[in-house]
Parts: sequence; C-alpha cells; structure tokens
Amino acid sequence: MAVTSESHVPATRPPASREVTTTRSGFSWYRFAEGATPYLLIAPLILLIMVFIYWPLIYSVYLSFFDWNFVRPEKDFIGWDNYTRMFNDPKFMRALNGTWKYFAALVPIEVILPLVIALLLFPIRKSRAQTSYRIMLFSPTVIAYSVGAVMWLWIFNPQQGVLNKVLMEVGFDRINWLSDRDTAIWSVIIVATWKTLGFHLLLYMAALESVPGDYIDAASLDGASNWQIMWSIRFPLISPTFFFVLVTTVISVNDDVFGAINVLTEGGPFDSTTNIIYYLYNQGFKYFQIGSASAVSIVIFLATIFITWLQFRFVERHVHYG
Amino acid sequence: MGSMVIAPQSSGAKQRDRINRILLHTLVAAICFLTIFPFVWMVSTAFKPADEIFTKDIRLVANHPILSNFPDAFKTFPVARWMWNSFGIGVLTTLGKLAISFPAAFAFSRLKFRGDKFFFAIVVSTMIVPGVVTMVPNYVLVSDLGWINTWWGVIVPSLPGTAFYVFLLRQSILTLPQDLIDAAKLDGASTIKLLWQIVLPNVRPAIAVVTILSFLGAWNQYMWPMLILNDFNNKTLATGMQFFTANVESAQMWGPMMATATIAIIPPLAIYAIAQKQIISTFVTSGFKG
Repeated sequence: MAVTSESHVPATRPPASREVTTTRSGFSWYRFAEGATPYLLIAPLILLIMVFIYWPLIYSVYLSFFDWNFVRPEKDFIGWDNYTRMFNDPKFMRALNGTWKYFAALVPIEVILPLVIALLLFPIRKSRAQTSYRIMLFSPTVIAYSVGAVMWLWIFNPQQGVLNKVLMEVGFDRINWLSDRDTAIWSVIIVATWKTLGFHLLLYMAALESVPGDYIDAASLDGASNWQIMWSIRFPLISPTFFFVLVTTVISVNDDVFGAINVLTEGGPFDSTTNIIYYLYNQGFKYFQIGSASAVSIVIFLATIFITWLQFRFVERHVHYG
Repeated sequence: MGSMVIAPQSSGAKQRDRINRILLHTLVAAICFLTIFPFVWMVSTAFKPADEIFTKDIRLVANHPILSNFPDAFKTFPVARWMWNSFGIGVLTTLGKLAISFPAAFAFSRLKFRGDKFFFAIVVSTMIVPGVVTMVPNYVLVSDLGWINTWWGVIVPSLPGTAFYVFLLRQSILTLPQDLIDAAKLDGASTIKLLWQIVLPNVRPAIAVVTILSFLGAWNQYMWPMLILNDFNNKTLATGMQFFTANVESAQMWGPMMATATIAIIPPLAIYAIAQKQIISTFVTSGFKG
C-alpha cells in the first residue's frame, strides 16, 4: 500500500542551544520533555483508536459467543451457536447472495468508470468548462447518501416518477423499479454508482495531473502514439492510486450501499436487495440479537482481512511506485 | 507541466484535434447531465404546488411556482432543529479530528522515536476495519456511558476514524524542506514550538482540505447517527429525511420533502464549490502521485 511504502525522514538532531541547562548528573528536564513529546502528540489518537476500534473488535469476538438481547442484564454463553445459526439462516444466505452481487457489479464500476471519465477530462483540463464539469461530477459525492437516495426515490416512483414518465413517453411500459425483484438491486446499484463516482474521480485526476509532463513529451518525441503513452507511461505511473482505489472500494462497497438500501428498498422485495451489512443492522438494531450481530461482524471482519490480503498478494506486485 | 507544442502541426492534425475536443466536451457534458439531473429534478419539485407534482406530463418548471414548500417542511418536521444538530456535530467532529490527527501526523513524519513504525502501523491498520464491525460493541459502550441521544455519542466514537487524514497531513508535512525544520531546531525551538509555529503555518492548505472533507463526512454520516439519535426531534438532516419517506403516496409530501433535501445539500455543495481547486491541488502535491 502506498501508505507504508514511504520511509520515515530521519530526524537528525543538531545540538540545541538550550542543552546548557543539563545538570552535572546528566539529567535534563528539557531533554526528558522532548523525549516524551512524540508520545504525547500521538497519545490522543492512539487512545481513541484503542477504545473505539480495537477494543470493540475484541469485545465483538466475546459477544459473538453469547445470547444477549441488550436489555436483559445477563448474557448466556452459547458457544458457536450464533455462528451455526447464522449459516443455517436462509435470510443470511440471501444477504450473502446480495453482498456478492453488489460486489461483482460495483467494484468494477467504481474502480474503472471514474478512471475512464478522468481520462476523458484530462485532455481538456485547460478548458474553461473544466471547473463546471468538476463541480457537476463531484456534487453527488459531497452530499449525504440518504439525501441522494431520497432524490432517487422520487425519480424511481412507479406512478409519478420522472423515469417512468420518460419511459412511457418513448413507448415503453412503466417499471416498478424498487418493488420488482429483478430491477430493485439495479436501482440500488445505479444510485451507488452515481453517489461514489466523484471521490475516485478526484483521486485519479490528481494522480494524472502529477505525472511529469517531460515523460510524455519525451515519449511523443520518440513517436509514441497517444494509446502507447497511456498504457506504457500514464497508467504505470498512476497504478498506486489505482491500487488504493481498488483496495478501499473492495472494503467499503457493501458498507456504502447501506444508505441507499435503507432509504430505497429496506432490503426488499423478498430480500433481493439486502446484503450482509443490512443483515447485521437488522439483527443488531431491529431484533436486538446482539450476539448474532457480533458474529456477523466477525465474519465481515475476517472476510475483509482475507480479501485485502489477496489483493496485496496478487495485485500489488503489478503496482509501480515511481 | 502539460505537454508543450513540439513541432508545428499540420492543418489536418489541427482539424482532427479540434474535432476530438468537441467530441470529448460532448461526451463529458452528457455524463454531467446524468449526474446533476437528480438535483435539477429535486429543486424543480421543491418549487411545485401539490397539484403540479402528480401530473401526466414532464414539467421541469412549474406553471405556478411556489415557495411555501420550504416553510411547510419546517412546520411539519423539526427541520431547523435537525439543521442545528447537523451543524454542531459537523463542527465539533471536525475540530476533534484535527486536534488528534495533526499532532500525530507531525510526529509520524518528522520525529524519530521508539516504536514510531509500530504506532503508525496501528493507525494505518484501522483502514481495513470496516465501520460496521465495531458498530454493535460501540453502541453498547455509548449506551453504558449514557450517551444515547446526545451529540457526544455521535461524535466521540467517530473521532479515531482519521487514518486517511493522518496519512494526507503526513504526506504534506513530508514535502516541507528539511532545512526549514533544521533551522528552527538550530535556533533551539522545542518540538511543540516547531509544530505550532513552523509546520502548522506551512501546511495550511492541507489542513483546510482535511477540515472540509471531515466536515462533509460528518454532515453526511448516516448509519451511526441514525442509531444514536433515536429521538425524533434530535435527528440530523441526513437521518431525519427518512421520516418523510413513510408517506410517499401523498402528493402533499413530495414538495416539502424535496425542499428539505434542497436545504440539506446547500452547505456541502457550497463548501465544495468554493474549495474544489484547493482539494485537488492538495491531492496532487501530497500523496496520490506515482
């Protein structure tokens, strides 16, 4: 990951003039304070991470072995029951199915579509329209998912929605976008695509802009075609960004669609738009099956680790850190 | 940057270039149309009277546009209260995230200390812990602290989700010339003074970007505040919207609903439009490069 590849800048410490205060025994309050400062600077962040990220992770593992409804004071130890029940729950299986569908549809869309649009924008980056383009393309990304989903709820409305009005205008039948088992998941996918385009576009555009112009000039002097420049120079140079986008998309894609699912379909019809995140939400906060919800979150965590490991193992070797 | 003109182009190549540009502009404009259409339709509906919302034809601009959907939204639902909550949570979350991530980013970029790599790994690893994994135990924790239905319950557990900002700030601090740091140290500046008086003023653009991204993130967050703020009056704009959707079959509802949505998107869009140049240049210089 680009994050860890950079090495620390060695902090060479020239003798500071204050060190004259050093006492004969060699102890200096100033030096002691200076030594402690780095730890004080990182302490609030590290503490909060421990309390609200790593400790909950461990506590989840613990809770996943108990039957607890959150209201009752006592928790009953039930071993692996939450896990076996989960894998025997047809609702969970439908949620896995949905998770896989979102994954298969949205990972390629969210990783490749913004790259294509960034490449379309790149040759016209100096034009006056560029600022307006950027604002328009990014606007879905900067608003709340739920608010965006509400806009689409109105567009998808079966009787009065503008999408069906347009369809009927051009001679098609109206479609029950959100209540038809075949179209509901696609409606969610459309909203997710629309919503997430901007951020990845931003990352790709920044990466393309930072490719040094001399590389491109040298290549075109050597008679390279635009296509060759794209494949042999631009793409390798932005591959760390591509990898970053891929890894973060894979982690967040099912998390992201939660807002759209909750506003548009609530997982229906017949669980056709649910996913593992929505299943977790229902178990935990609708049925208050805290143990079962914790078991689901552990499964999500392990799957995330495994998939991230796979990507580092098999994709990262093609990444070129310039 | 940018490619310079190397050899005089033939008029045929120029012609082809112009056609390519026109094609590109058309294509990009079409994509832009698709992305902003939901906004256009929302604003159009927000100004429509109830009898023009359910019509057979497609009306972009109402025959008799009205403003009353906006006051109606405020009357039917506590929209003003929701706005205040979104705003307060947004500002406090942003301040909190800056206060913990900037000093850490500085320590991880310019200070050498025992265990620095280990602690940095702890921070970076949080990126692969999906938020939902910690949701249930954090809910239990927040409820034990008595923070359900309070701003703190929303804000504090979200503070450590700053790995990306730490990374961004660290990259930006690393681009400062080493001479600047060395000179300050030669003058006997303490680490805190270095952080506050030398580094901070020099990475202001990156701080501005983190501030904006963090405020947008907090203003827009959905799942966590929905769980914590379960009192109807205590929602944020992003989480309160769902109360409207209970009534989708009523034409009376869509106007105020779209009016509320319009209000909810104005602050993030305005902030973004003002800051977009800054955001992209920060990404270019600090981090997402080859």
